[in-house]
Amino acid sequence: MSKITTAQWFKGGSPWIWLSAAAVSVSLIMVFGLLLLIALRGLGFFWPADVLEVKYQQSPTEIITLIGEVQSTETVSAARVHDAGGVVPEGAETVTRLLLKVGNRDISGLDFRWINQHDIIEESRPQDMIVLERREWGNFYGYLKSVKVDGKIVANGDEAWPVFLERLDKTIELFDQIKSIHTGEIGSINYDIEELRLAKRRLELDGVTDTVPYSEVEEQRAKLNKEYQLLQKDLDVLYRNIEKDSVMLVAAGGREIELRLSKVVRGFKPNAMGIPTKSLHYLEKLWEFVSDEPREANTEGGIFPAIFGTVMLVIIMSILVTPLGVIAAVYLREYAKQGPTTRLIRIAVNNLAGVPSIVYGVFGLGFFVYFLGGNIDQLFYAEALPAPTYGTPGILWSALTLALLTLPVVIVATEEGLARIPRSIREGSMALGATKAETLWRIVLPMASPALMTGMILAVARAAGEVAPLMLVGVVKLAPSLPLDLNSPFIHLDRKFMHLGFHIYDVGFQSPNVEAARPLVYATALLLVVVIVALNLTAIWVRNHLREKYKALE
Amino acid sequence: MTETTLTHAIDMSAIGGVGTAKQLADETIRIKTRGLNLYYGEKQALDDISIVIPQNRVTAFIGPSGCGKSTLLRCFNRMNDLVDGVRIDGDVLLDDEEIYQKSVNIANLRQRVGMVFQKPNPFPKSIYENVAYGLRLQGIKNRRVLDEAVETALKGAALWDEVKDRLHENALGMSGGQQQRLVIARAIAIEPEVLLLDEPASALDPISTLKIEELINELKNSYTIVIVTHNMQQAARVSDYTAFMYMGKMIEFSDTRTLFTNPAKKQTEDYITGRYG
Amino acid sequence: MSKNDLGKHISQQFDTELEDVRNRVLTMGGLVEQQLTDAIKALMERDKGLSETVIQNDYKVNEMEVSIDEECTQIIARRQPAASDLRLVMAVIKTITDLERIGDEAERFARMTMQHSNEQAASRHFGSIETMGELVRQMLHGALDAFARMDVDAASKTWLDDKKIDVQYESITRELITYMMEDPRSIPWALDVLWAARALERIGDRSANICEYVIYFVKGKDVRHTTSEQMQREGSQEQ
Repeated sequence: MSKITTAQWFKGGSPWIWLSAAAVSVSLIMVFGLLLLIALRGLGFFWPADVLEVKYQQSPTEIITLIGEVQSTETVSAARVHDAGGVVPEGAETVTRLLLKVGNRDISGLDFRWINQHDIIEESRPQDMIVLERREWGNFYGYLKSVKVDGKIVANGDEAWPVFLERLDKTIELFDQIKSIHTGEIGSINYDIEELRLAKRRLELDGVTDTVPYSEVEEQRAKLNKEYQLLQKDLDVLYRNIEKDSVMLVAAGGREIELRLSKVVRGFKPNAMGIPTKSLHYLEKLWEFVSDEPREANTEGGIFPAIFGTVMLVIIMSILVTPLGVIAAVYLREYAKQGPTTRLIRIAVNNLAGVPSIVYGVFGLGFFVYFLGGNIDQLFYAEALPAPTYGTPGILWSALTLALLTLPVVIVATEEGLARIPRSIREGSMALGATKAETLWRIVLPMASPALMTGMILAVARAAGEVAPLMLVGVVKLAPSLPLDLNSPFIHLDRKFMHLGFHIYDVGFQSPNVEAARPLVYATALLLVVVIVALNLTAIWVRNHLREKYKALE
Repeated sequence: MTETTLTHAIDMSAIGGVGTAKQLADETIRIKTRGLNLYYGEKQALDDISIVIPQNRVTAFIGPSGCGKSTLLRCFNRMNDLVDGVRIDGDVLLDDEEIYQKSVNIANLRQRVGMVFQKPNPFPKSIYENVAYGLRLQGIKNRRVLDEAVETALKGAALWDEVKDRLHENALGMSGGQQQRLVIARAIAIEPEVLLLDEPASALDPISTLKIEELINELKNSYTIVIVTHNMQQAARVSDYTAFMYMGKMIEFSDTRTLFTNPAKKQTEDYITGRYG
Repeated sequence: MSKNDLGKHISQQFDTELEDVRNRVLTMGGLVEQQLTDAIKALMERDKGLSETVIQNDYKVNEMEVSIDEECTQIIARRQPAASDLRLVMAVIKTITDLERIGDEAERFARMTMQHSNEQAASRHFGSIETMGELVRQMLHGALDAFARMDVDAASKTWLDDKKIDVQYESITRELITYMMEDPRSIPWALDVLWAARALERIGDRSANICEYVIYFVKGKDVRHTTSEQMQREGSQEQ
């Protein structure tokens, strides 16, 4: 074995192998690190942690009882605590602090509390400690005292828990009924009544003087109103039923409060749960997260509307951008005479890809929303004015803006694909008497479809992650209804929608309860990544399928 | 032999000899060019080409690379139209009809004059769909008609027995020789009058080449065939008439027997004996 | 096609091969010509030793034929010659066959010389044979010369010489028939002389064949079985 000098080692090329391998490793570590961080932080949120009851030396003279989940711990220098006015034990360099989620916002006003480890006198995990998820005021931590129906106590002490669960199930059932009447039947009646109002307005605008159409409208409205009254009656009954039940609770410090069951979403005893029960609970929460609507300014409940909005936006965007991009690419590559003009167009298209996305948002707002939308409203939805229909941000404009944003990617990818179709194949088709258009349609485009799909994958990847332009052209914090429902015409492209990306921003920065929302930010981010990966995988699967079919190019 | 009996062999200065002229006088002429010039931009690719293509015969074009033989072949179905900056003057007549007239429907022309290319270029579809492609273009949808035509074409291309059990498999899974025969089947499925073969065997192994040559020999009973080839032995084997081209000019056009044993022109002699250059 | 333009192929190896085969034909021609000359000389001088040499040397001619044949087969198989190259190879193959036959005739001639070297009666008629032999030798020489130079003019002229040999042969035949009618005892030797004349006549024919091959090679025209008028035209056309 001869010794290899450094110069030889460099010449041999091994440094480059190591260097590139290192670069790949760093990239991989960063990607997986990112995913891991998001996954750990986000997914931990749904785990029902044990609830502590602590006796806490709040001040030298005052001992209080606190109940809550430990959210995080941190160690800070004693000086800092001291400066902040805290009490520090003699000689301690550092102080360990716990962030306790104490809940009970309605009582204490604060969800979270920092406590010093050394001030804890006693801590315990009582088995009968309960956690109630409520429709308002966040979680409740404390003890169940009794269950009341119509103000009379039906169960007390240990019996109270099973009765509570039973009554809760019934109440939730009632709640679901009420909700379905609200969003379903009443929603559609409201929709129809609105349509009738617009119909009447349209008649007025058209200058119809005949009274017959008006009376028809009125007739229908009366009918709908009658239906509405009936439903309202049903609702009254349901409301009365749902308000019957309540529970008496004891919060930390022994304070008793009464809570209507209609306000409770879920109740459980985390300290009494084993790992299997907790896992079940975890999955339930996870499912709620992806399938339910948000509550409490998006900090509780699920984010289904945001998932739905994101996916629908991307789909509409793909439907818009694909034909546009493909037609443009076909023209540029197949029909246009290659010269300075096409070169200029290509440069323009490529530069379009480099424009910051917020600029697209501004353009979308100015051109699509105000100009196009405004004109559409003038022409077709005059009856609704001054309330805008399309002249306001909505999912269509968002999709169009994103389509514009991703157009260059699709054009470039499709052009590449077209350029790779061998001349001989086109000539083969032409020689059989096909015109250029027939050749394109029957041979060239199918063969270029994998490239086209690649363009779409890139477009989807970019579009699904865009937030900035959407804030201008259609995304909202909380959309009252999905852009897809059972009221004709089923797809409502004028509606505003929710979006995962914006949801992250909103929950993370605009939430009234930032501490509570932080895990949600991670969870939502993870979900956004999952949605994008799923969309991409679908597209990649389709592309590979096509590629297999048209592998002639190799 | 007088000029009058050679009415269709219009001032063909390239005609090799009296024997060829005599032979041509007995043929039905399918394609005829008169003073055909073709320019790619400034460059002249074909120079005053006059030639006749007799019916039900195999006519071979030979010559060194870039001599214009493929270009000439592509004039017969106006494939050169696809190239930018091509200019053509002179006449190309198919059955005494000028094919470079404005009124000519190019798609129709190409259905009458089929073409097979150097590299097998099957479409990435099934074998069946490849053969049916031309028919579908003509709007034929009847399954039975298509089935029949596909079978006839594949039999005509001596491919039926090899592929009849896998008609719906992707054509790209076939061997090179099979692909080329498939492409021939695809071309004859639309029953052209003339079949142009542009170096049909140059990408194939010798056995596949022989199969193609055998096929050409059979096809000439039903079609008028023009073949461009680099392989002189191949031209000698398959053709009835051979034209030698050099630098865009038609140097010699003779019956193949004569051209390969006793060419009239020194340039031809030099080329076929390997003295060229 | 200029006459000696065998070269200038892109493949110089091919040039060499063709040149080689042609040279070997000429060598073989020289050998055959020598054999013929020797055979005639032996007859005239009743030189048994010389006859012996001729007989023994025939195997050389046969060997050359086989090896040239083999070489031509190789050229066809490996080069697939066309046009003039093809015609050259074909001409060579046919020429060597004829040369070999001429060699055989010379050998037969020599054997006859051995048999009849002591018979006075036969030797009386060897005079006319000698004249004819000289004519035939010249014709063979002319044919080989035409082949060497690929000269159509010379070839067609030599070809026409065959007529003179035929005339000579006829006169010898008539003469010998007269002898045989006069004296039946002369029949055995007369027949032998007739055979010798016949052999010479065959050599003339074969030389004429070689001339035809030369014309075929140069002009690509098959002039076998043509009349002398046509042949004269061929010769005069060649400029």
